[in-house]
Amino acid sequence: MGKSKQVGNHKGDKKKNISKTWKTKRRTKDLDQIHADMRPDQAAKLLKQNVDYDVTGCAQHYCLHCARYFVDLKTMKEHFKTKVHKKRLKQLREEPYTQEEAERAAGMGSYIPPKKVEVHTQQVEEDMD
Amino acid sequence: MRIEKCYFCSGPVYPGHGMMFVRNDCKVFRFCKSKCHKNFKKKRNPRKTRWTKAFRKAAGKELTVDNALEFEKRRNIPIKYQRELWSKTVEAMKKVEDIKRKRQARFIMNRLKKGKELEKEEAIQEVKKNIHLIRAPHAGKAKAMEEKMVQKLQEDVDMADD
Repeated sequence: MGKSKQVGNHKGDKKKNISKTWKTKRRTKDLDQIHADMRPDQAAKLLKQNVDYDVTGCAQHYCLHCARYFVDLKTMKEHFKTKVHKKRLKQLREEPYTQEEAERAAGMGSYIPPKKVEVHTQQVEEDMD
Repeated sequence: MRIEKCYFCSGPVYPGHGMMFVRNDCKVFRFCKSKCHKNFKKKRNPRKTRWTKAFRKAAGKELTVDNALEFEKRRNIPIKYQRELWSKTVEAMKKVEDIKRKRQARFIMNRLKKGKELEKEEAIQEVKKNIHLIRAPHAGKAKAMEEKMVQKLQEDVDMADD
């Protein structure tokens, strides 16, 4: 039997239309994309972005693992303490799923279990505030 | 033309079936049915979804490492048609499939043996714990009790005599 879908006690985002959030039109970043972002060169680029007035907080406060922009440093630090962020870190600790893995699972070659990846919350520069 | 494997459930995607999703970074995802596509859109992890092949392999439910699994591969080298090679390959495929099926079945049977052992152990534990429901704690001790009583009475009588 399947496991219960309800995780945790908070029922946030209830007002949002879930069928809309699942549309590919508004697709947020996948875990494998975030893994690609976590490579040092990409990460440096994302964490030091140019001022963009169209993005929340002028794209100055970006959480790499949740792929989210924040208004200021305070809210971002608050976000690092939340369950959403910690859960995301936990999900990222496993190697991303790929088409190759799907093929290996289908019997094309032996199945190799996913490796563990070390993931920590990004360092925040203290001199900014 | 190729029979692709579904990204989510690892099932075969035959030409003209299923659905292909191309993400905005050009990565291609193929799905065998709308169920798989919907689950992908909900960002479910195939390794955590019980009905997928990836789950079954990752959780050790099925045979994962075996030489019989190494035959089916994506070979990107076109081969000119040769009748003999073709017939031989088909024969080999049948044989490999047969061996694979047998090995997988044996793996599952071996896996299930563990459960039986545990079941037996648990049953023994339960009987040991609840033995008082079957056998009264003083069962079989009635005669000993009687003898003790008689002895005591005798002693009392002796005491009275003195």
